[in-house]
Amino acid sequence: MSESTEWGTEVVIAVCPHCDWRYLVLAEKATLRCPHCFAADLEPVTEGVEQLPYVRPPELVTPFTVSKTTADKRIEEFAGGIPFAPRDLNPAALRSRVQPLYLPMWLVDGDVSATWEAEAGFDYNVVSHQERYSDGSGWATQQVQKTRIRWEPRVGQLERHYDNIVAPALEQHAALEQALGVYALDDAQPYTADALERALVRLPDRAPEAAWADAVPAFQAAAGEECRQAAGADHIRQFRWSPTYTNQHWTLLLLPLYATYYLDDDGEPRPVLINGQSGRVFGVRRASMQRAQRSALVIVAIAAVIFFLSLVAGVAGLAAPPLLVVAGSGGVLALCVGLGAIIPIVRAWQFNRKPVETL
Amino acid sequence: MTETFPPPGFIPTASAIPGIAVYAPAPEEAEAQPEIVEFKCPQCQAMTAYSVADGGLRCTYCGYYEPPTRTLVGKGAQEFEFTVETLAVASQAHGWGEARKEVQCQNCNARATLPPGRLTHTCPFCGSNRVLQQDAPQDALRPRFLIPFKIEADACRPIAEKWLGSSWMTPKSLKQSTVAGFTGIYLPYWTFDAVTQAEWKAEVGHHETRRRYNASTKSWESHTVTVWRWESGQVRKFFDDVLVPGTARLSGVLLSQLQNYDTHALVAYEPQYLAGFLAQAYDVPLEKAWEEGREAMRAATRDTCRGQASTSRIRNFSMALDFSDESWRYVLAPVYMTVFQYDGQPYQVMINGQTGAIAGQRPVDWNKVWLVVGAVVAPGALLTLLGVLAIVLGLLLPPALGAAAVLLVPGIILLIIGGIIAFTIVGKARRMSDV
Repeated sequence: MSESTEWGTEVVIAVCPHCDWRYLVLAEKATLRCPHCFAADLEPVTEGVEQLPYVRPPELVTPFTVSKTTADKRIEEFAGGIPFAPRDLNPAALRSRVQPLYLPMWLVDGDVSATWEAEAGFDYNVVSHQERYSDGSGWATQQVQKTRIRWEPRVGQLERHYDNIVAPALEQHAALEQALGVYALDDAQPYTADALERALVRLPDRAPEAAWADAVPAFQAAAGEECRQAAGADHIRQFRWSPTYTNQHWTLLLLPLYATYYLDDDGEPRPVLINGQSGRVFGVRRASMQRAQRSALVIVAIAAVIFFLSLVAGVAGLAAPPLLVVAGSGGVLALCVGLGAIIPIVRAWQFNRKPVETL
Repeated sequence: MTETFPPPGFIPTASAIPGIAVYAPAPEEAEAQPEIVEFKCPQCQAMTAYSVADGGLRCTYCGYYEPPTRTLVGKGAQEFEFTVETLAVASQAHGWGEARKEVQCQNCNARATLPPGRLTHTCPFCGSNRVLQQDAPQDALRPRFLIPFKIEADACRPIAEKWLGSSWMTPKSLKQSTVAGFTGIYLPYWTFDAVTQAEWKAEVGHHETRRRYNASTKSWESHTVTVWRWESGQVRKFFDDVLVPGTARLSGVLLSQLQNYDTHALVAYEPQYLAGFLAQAYDVPLEKAWEEGREAMRAATRDTCRGQASTSRIRNFSMALDFSDESWRYVLAPVYMTVFQYDGQPYQVMINGQTGAIAGQRPVDWNKVWLVVGAVVAPGALLTLLGVLAIVLGLLLPPALGAAAVLLVPGIILLIIGGIIAFTIVGKARRMSDV
């Protein structure tokens, strides 16, 4: 499908044949590696596009505030400090595969009419006292003011329109939020086609009907805050209402993300994600047991060579006794070096005992 | 959610956001309080007054009875916080107005001028009772609660006579004096509640017995030393209904002796309770009274802190104290007062109108007092004098020195004991007559 009107530029829908994630991409980027599973290249969808759900243009975009340079620094920090890191887990490889990506969230507008009731809290000051006493100087009094809250019941009616109430558009939204942190949605800007020039857009896999359950508490929170302001209160609690929703309109909000990956010991791609707004990095940092084992084998081989040379010196020592000292020392050295072979394996094992972060 | 909208008792209030209507509970309408409430019997037009025996209004002529409309509130009587606004208003106000009030009796048209703070008036010509209800600067600063009289005026005389005869220091002729004319008056009181949270530390002395070797006597000796150790602790203390008089026109010492009021008996203010009694508005402002209340609370908290120490030997004591949950009430409490004359001097007597506790000034027969003081001090003085004479005699006849010791030691001890008793008697006598 080629779309140019709603999105402001030529886009196509591409799907990953491995994980079935769907993306909106510029036509020339339709064959990129899937930034989710990194197991296959994307394939443009040419048939049945009309039946694909939730292909709606976004209304707002949270811009990338983490530059490519900053993202590279985060990658270097991520890849550093891992003993016997997988060969592919290096900054250069990670940097070369970085793919900017937008994650979707639903934005819903709607009219609400409701009756509501709540307890409105009003701050007021009381005068209190703090006193100090000592045998030498007697009492010293200090007057202080303390703020208290007076709670009063309020009821009311509400006829309001609410814009841009957010709700998750991905089934993995909660896991992504836990991994990457919460995005500051106040920074969102109106969508322009430029956004697609630099990044892919993940398509929602959650229907508005499913997301509505998450939007309702957000509507209630927005209404509660407005009712607090309407009542001129400083606080509100026990807010309850019986709302009727009409004229719902759904659009998308895009959240920025950098995605890259490395191949682990088994050649499986491991994703590394960077929050495009806060710079928080998420990925699996594991030492390569294969590399540790190889290092151990090299050490064992060196120990074997030393032992062999010691044996030779021992045989020669039968003829020239001073060589027996060399043979003895060589044997001890070979033993020490051989025992040292366990160090790489233990080190890698210890590092991998840390909690593994997976998405 | 409520089924009817708006719920009963809610009225529209201002909303800061268009599209949102806000309803708040309708404010309680302040009862229209007539400036002067007159008490007349609806049956015979004679005067009515509060009857302590019946607990309501009673006509002294036809027996008509009207029970009070308000109920017992006790400790649940509403308390007020020390808000910035209340303190600002209370610091300027003094009860119910400062100016003298001129009232005209609607029964006989006689005019009378009342002093500031007087809340009731009984016409001296026709005897009709009225209660004045002037505006207060804040509703909380009206007397909202009171403790009704429980002791009848007739009971005051026997209480006073028993009290007058209860001390040997009073003149014998006083027992024949008449202490009558008790006037019931509602006095203003502030009640305070608060929680004190204190942290203290001090050096506490502990006696320890130690042994040391005395080289000169070549023996081990025991001696006691005081070892000082730092101790600390925390105290949380709740104070409920600490009473502070709202008037400085009466003796604080006498009032403090009457202050065993039971606030469980508090009732909501109703002018009927005041009919036939005098009533005084406060002249000690809230903040000043609270200062006095705080002093009592912090002293009690300090005593509790010191009591936590493991011994009573304490030095370098210090503490930090925070007040919280402070609240106050303005109440009226019943007192009977009278002044009796003795030997041309006036003596004031007060009786707690709820409990019957009595306090007051009593004349002192100082001849009697000095006689007793002399009798108490004389044995010690005599023995001491004889002991001194025996010492002088012992200079000539050394065996007399033994008798001197026998006389002097108990003499001095008796003299000291007699002196203490005499000092206590004189102090008590002075307090009786000079309050």
